[in-house]
This record gives sequence, C-alpha cells and structure tokens, in this order.
Amino acid sequence: MAAPLAAVASAAPDMPFLSVLGLKKYFGGVKALDGVSFSLEEGEVHALVGENGAGKSTLIKILSGVFPHDAGDVSLAGEPYRPSSPHEAKGHGVQVVHQEFNLLDHLTIAENISIEQMPKTRFGLLDRTEMNRRARRALDAIGLTDINVAQPVSSLGIAHRQLVEIVRALQSKSRILILDEPTATLTERETKRLFDIVAGIKADGVTVVFVSHHLDEVFAICDRVTVFRNGKTIATDLIAETTPEGVVQRMVGRRLAAELDAQQAHTPGKSALRIDNLVTQANSGETGVSLDLKAGEIVGIAGLVGAGRTEILRGIFGIDPIRNGKLYRDGREIRFRGPKDAIAAGIGFVTEDRKDEGLILDMPIAANMSLASLKAVSKSGLLQLASETRRARDGGAKLKLKYGKTSDAVSSLSGGNQQKVVLAKWLARQPKVLLLDEPTRGVDVGAKAEIYAILKDLARDGVALLVVSSEMPELMTLADRILVLAEHQIQGELQRPDFSEENILKLAYGQTPEAAGETQ
Amino acid sequence: MTIDTAQEAAPPVSKFSVRTVLHNAGIGLALLALIIFFSVFTEHFLTPNNITNILTQITINLILAVGMTFVILIGGIDLSVGSVMAFAAVVAGKAITLPGFGPAEAIALAIVAATLTGVLCGVLNGAISAYWALPSFIITLGMLNIARGAALQVSNAQTIYSFPYAFEEFGSAMIYGVPVVFLVALVLVFIAWFVLNFTVFGRLIYGIGNNAEAVRLAGHSVYRYKIAAFTICGLTAGIAAIVYMARLNISSPIAGIGFELNAIAAVIIGGTSLSGGRGSVIGTLLGAFIIGVLANGLILIGLSDFMRQMITGVVIIVAVILDYYRAKYAST
Repeated sequence: MAAPLAAVASAAPDMPFLSVLGLKKYFGGVKALDGVSFSLEEGEVHALVGENGAGKSTLIKILSGVFPHDAGDVSLAGEPYRPSSPHEAKGHGVQVVHQEFNLLDHLTIAENISIEQMPKTRFGLLDRTEMNRRARRALDAIGLTDINVAQPVSSLGIAHRQLVEIVRALQSKSRILILDEPTATLTERETKRLFDIVAGIKADGVTVVFVSHHLDEVFAICDRVTVFRNGKTIATDLIAETTPEGVVQRMVGRRLAAELDAQQAHTPGKSALRIDNLVTQANSGETGVSLDLKAGEIVGIAGLVGAGRTEILRGIFGIDPIRNGKLYRDGREIRFRGPKDAIAAGIGFVTEDRKDEGLILDMPIAANMSLASLKAVSKSGLLQLASETRRARDGGAKLKLKYGKTSDAVSSLSGGNQQKVVLAKWLARQPKVLLLDEPTRGVDVGAKAEIYAILKDLARDGVALLVVSSEMPELMTLADRILVLAEHQIQGELQRPDFSEENILKLAYGQTPEAAGETQ
Repeated sequence: MTIDTAQEAAPPVSKFSVRTVLHNAGIGLALLALIIFFSVFTEHFLTPNNITNILTQITINLILAVGMTFVILIGGIDLSVGSVMAFAAVVAGKAITLPGFGPAEAIALAIVAATLTGVLCGVLNGAISAYWALPSFIITLGMLNIARGAALQVSNAQTIYSFPYAFEEFGSAMIYGVPVVFLVALVLVFIAWFVLNFTVFGRLIYGIGNNAEAVRLAGHSVYRYKIAAFTICGLTAGIAAIVYMARLNISSPIAGIGFELNAIAAVIIGGTSLSGGRGSVIGTLLGAFIIGVLANGLILIGLSDFMRQMITGVVIIVAVILDYYRAKYAST
C-alpha cells in the first residue's frame, strides 16, 4: 500500500519532481484525456487552466487515485506513480482540495479538521482538548480568529467551508497540494488570505497545483501555467514570459470576441420589482433593504460573504419567510407564500448552488429545462415528450449549449453548460424579473462571456435582472448600477461612472460612504 | 470499464433509456435463469397448475409493491402496508357482512370501505412525515402499530367470514389458467408505469427523489407530491385487502404480518434505489416474480421453508450490492 514518505528516493536534479507523459483516459467511448503531458518542479506553484471539460478535473482525479489512467506514464520523484486509491495517493504526499465539499456537516469544525488523524489520549480516547487546540492554531494561522472551532460546519457560510477544507488538507504533510478551483466561492478578502497561505506552504518546499478560472489569480501567485484544451495539454509557459491575453488565446484557440460593449445607452423602463425595508428571518438587520429594480435594468449586489446578499434574493423569491417590509411587482403590492407564488408573478431565480438547488443532476437535460414550465410541455397532466425535446433543443440552441442528446443526464455536462441549463429552465418561462446568485461560479472564461451576453440580451428585451456576485469585474461588466451591502444594510449605490473595485470595497467594508459614490 | 457500463450514465427517467432497458434485462435474465434452473431440477415446476399457483401467490405482494415503488422513489419507506391491509380487510369485512344489502351492493360497499381505509392511512403517513419533515420510517412504524391495533379493535380480534358467493368467485376465477386477481395486479403495474413515465406527476416523483430542493425552487409543492406517494401506497394496501378477502373468503385482523418487508424486497430486488429517484415499476414486477419463483421452486426442490427464507434474504442483499455498483459506475 502506501509507501512512507522517507522511503521514496528524492528526484535526480535534472528530473522533474512529477512528470506526466502522454496520459490518456477514456470513459466508454468518450475521451476525457487525450494526450496530457506536463511536469512539476519541486516547490513551484503551477497553474492548470482551460475551459470546463478540458480535462483538468480528470487529471487531478488520476493523480489523487480516484481512478486509474488508461495509457501514458506518470512518475513521482523518479519512481513510477500509479495510486490505486486516494489513501495511497495521500501516502505519497499528494493532497487534493476538491471543488465539491467533502466536509461532514454535523460534526464540528475541529472534528472536521482532525478527521484524518484524531488526537488520542494515553488511554486511546479522543483527546478533545488537543483536537480543539489544533483546529484553533490552524484557523488562527490563516486569520480566521473569529470562528469558534466547536460549532458545527453546517453553521458556516460556503466561503468559510472552503477555507476549513483547505486547512484540513494542510494538516497532513504533503509534497504536492492540489487546489481545485479554491477561489470559486471566496470573496476578494478570503482569496487574499488564501494567497498568503499558498505563499507560506510554497516557502516550506511544497509543490502547489492551482486550478482556477481567474487569470489574475494565476498571474498573482503562480510560477508556471499549463493550458488544457479538449483533453490535451496545449503548452506550458513561464508566467514571467506570458500575458493573460496569451493564455486566454491558448485556452480557446481563437481570439475572444471583443469585450462586451458595456456602455450601450439604454433607458430603464418602469419599476418591475420594488422592495421596501425587506427583513427576512435569515437576516439580522433592523431597517432592512430597499431597492427599486426597473424593467430592462441590471442591478448588481456586491458585498462580502455574510453581508446578506443571498438572503435578499431568497426573501424576494419566497423561500425565507419575510419578517418585515413590503414587496411590489409592477407597482402592485404582493406577498409570496412560497417560490410557487413568486414564479407565478414572473420571477425566476438562478441559485448559487446548482448541484443542491438548481439542477436534478441525474435527470435528462430536457427534464431539467422543463422543470419550472411543466404546464407548457404537458396536457392535462400528461407529458408531451416530443414537445419537451423540441423546446429543450430550442432552449439549448439559444444559449449555445454544448451537449450530446437532450436525454443525456445533466451531470454529463461541464460546469458552464450546466449553468446554461439552469438559465434555460427559467428562460423557458419568459420571466419578467430574473434573480441571479453568482451566475458564473465555476464557469470557464469562454462560457462566462457567453452568459454575460445572454444576460445583456435579456435586459435589452425588457427583463429586470438582479445579480449577486462576489466577482467585482463581473458586476462592473454587467450592471447598470451596483448596490453594496454590508451587515444586511445597503451601504451605498454606485453608478457606472463610479464603478471601481476600490469604491465597491470601501463600501463593503463599511467605510464612510462619502468616500465613494452617492448614498441612498 | 466496458462501453455498457459507461452508458449507464444515461438518465433514469424514460423507460426507453438504454440504462433502464439493460438494467431490467439484467433482472429479467436472473428470473429466466431461476425458471430454467427449477424447470430442470424439479418435475412439477413448469406445469400449468404450478404456474397458476405462483401467479396467485405473488399477486398480493405485487399489488403492495406497486404502491411501495412510489414511496421508495421519493426516498421514503412505508412499513405499515401489511397492517393497513389487515385493517382495511377488517373494515371491509364488517361492511360486506352488514345485514340488509344484496350481494352486489355489499361487494361495492366493501370495495369502497377497503380503499377508503387504505387511502386514509396513506394520507396520514404522508401528511405527518411531509409536514414535520420526519423520517417516514418512524411514522409508518407508528402506523404499523396503529393499524394493527385498529384491526383487532374493530374486529374484536375475531375473524370475519361468510361473504357473498360472487365475491369468492372473483377470487378464484381464472382466464386460461391466469388468476383474475393477478390480472388486476398487472393492470395496476401498467397504470403505475404509465403514470411514472408519461405524466407530470411521475416526473416530479423522480425529481423529488433526486433533489427535492430543486423541485421546490422550481415552484412545485413537494409536500403535496409526498402525500400523494404515500396515499397511492395506502390505496394499493386497500386493493390488496380486497384481493386477500376474495381469495381466502375471510377477513382476519392478523393477516399481512411481515408483508411490508416482502413488498420492500420486491422493489429493491427490482433495482429501485432505497435513496430514491432511481428505479422503475417494471423492475418491481420482475422483483416480485423473483421472490415468488424462489419461494415456490425452493420448496418444490425439497428445501425447508426456513432455508427458503434464508435464500430470499441473500437475494435482497445481493440486489442492494448490485445497486451499489450501478450507482458507482453511473457517477464516474
């Protein structure tokens, strides 16, 4: 089984620490990897980039022992490397922080952090004090001093869970630490924190593999970058010798369409959705949130994780009960008892978490697209399967969805295409108001631009869009104006001319509003 | 991994999907192997009389398993069906023996009484577990006791008998050696198959079993569909009660003990996932046949009933292990 670390001979000086040559992996007839070659030098931070479905995740799963490869050679420190289980990969010092969360929700943070090696007392019992101390030390080291290690993981927000997961991976000695899209759920502040952690482990001589869709991050912390496309490695470049634009070109194999013409003149219509002092059960604020969303307008909501952004959307959509405040749709006051009422009023909600809330992964693309509009594809309760398939094809074509058949399970699609299915589900209802929570989370650069174009088109057609995002460039590309939230209150509103990351951050950190833009 | 297993990643919804077909073919092959085995090693297995016997023996389990399929597809379980069947039979037995009705009216009354009793128990099971989001395992365990107690209370712990002759005739009627009550069960299988595959209701049953939150956020009342699944299960328990009365011509308050476990076994052997969202009622039909053929064949071969029970247990465990591998290959 797992060889102890010391037993593995160290690499010859001219040999790369990890080398991968001509790696291939098939799933049935589908080529997931079709010739992947790259190498890792000891102690470097190496970025893997490429569109979703390009093969990065498959490579990581092979390196971490989730499944074996079909052809090609992998060697680690000069020895052939072919782990048969994640346990064996860990024995070789290869650690992965996966995109999906692998935390145990009902256990405490401390228990999760120590789960691989629980500290024991002399009598072989669980040493809870030592366990909590370890967790405390680990969290303090990355600046999460305000988190109680004895509380269950389920009480944490999604960003904090990601950090806990990273902390857990750092508990055992690793030689190669693979971070699979670690920043997808993080805000800028936490991303900064993560970079400090990465710099720290690099200084300890650990090799870091960094998978990200954010090229600015890649350029901020990586030494080299390997680009994937269609299951192949295209090239490895020194970061110092390339540019983000060059990397993007390698990724898509063509020049990206020029950045969206962001500044098209456009006059918003009448009020489509207005909320007055909305306070939901999930939010602790007293005065609540007020906003007025007009037809044809895209309003962005910025703020740190925990500022209450998602709660606004959930409150509007009737998921979280409303404690206080009023809701107006097209100027008429309404009350939703649940999502059903909100949908009937022409509202759609693209949720943050497509796996848990947006999609039924094992069900076909067509069934997912029709989930919110089953009346349109049925007659007195009987499904019109032919019409459902036709509508799915139309919906897919409109959004440039890449898929095999409409009867394929959604889980067979890449992240960007899954997100398009979520969009298609709501567009099938032709909503008047669309709420979007992190609409491009875990989506690659190419699909991102396509989704932006779709959203802009919707606004042009008179749909009112309310977009929550942790990516400031995203909001600045999309929105006509940005509301910045902190502690469940709107701290300020920025108009297009005032858009800048600095202005958003100032408001998000609750600094004096005069410093940036106008106040409400 | 072969091409076949990779194709298992196909969706579970349409009956025509490659995966479902392959999968049902697998259970069908297992059934066929059993039938060939018993035909070769016993004299009497493949005789018209014995086939009629098997069909009669699996009828009640099949009817209960059809309803159970709905409940398991939404990720629930119903432990109360055996007791509910007895309760419904006793209530219907009281109704059918009421003085002052002709045979036709009495039978109609009994059918209404049995189905209403079953539906009522199902609605309670569904509403309580859905409203408080409680595990149906516990709620239906409670109902198992309530319905059994009610059956004993209503009947005063006495067996009810002397039903109209026409009722008995229905229970033993044959068409070309096929019991009419088995045809009733087949019709139920067909209806369930149609509902699960070609209606909005069926689509949402699968959807809820896979991801109830996504279904709720798409504007559907998950609560209502959960109640409906348990109601269907209660309804089939009521129908099973009528078939049971017609076959044996009595209503016993201690009927149906352990029937829930056989029904669950048929559904699981048929390849429906205990965690919900995946499976089919055709699989349930085959599962009920496998249990019935095993029971009949093993006794013909000369094994004791105890051995039969042990082997049925092994088959259930093997079925769940196979399901594990199916799910595993479907997800990679």
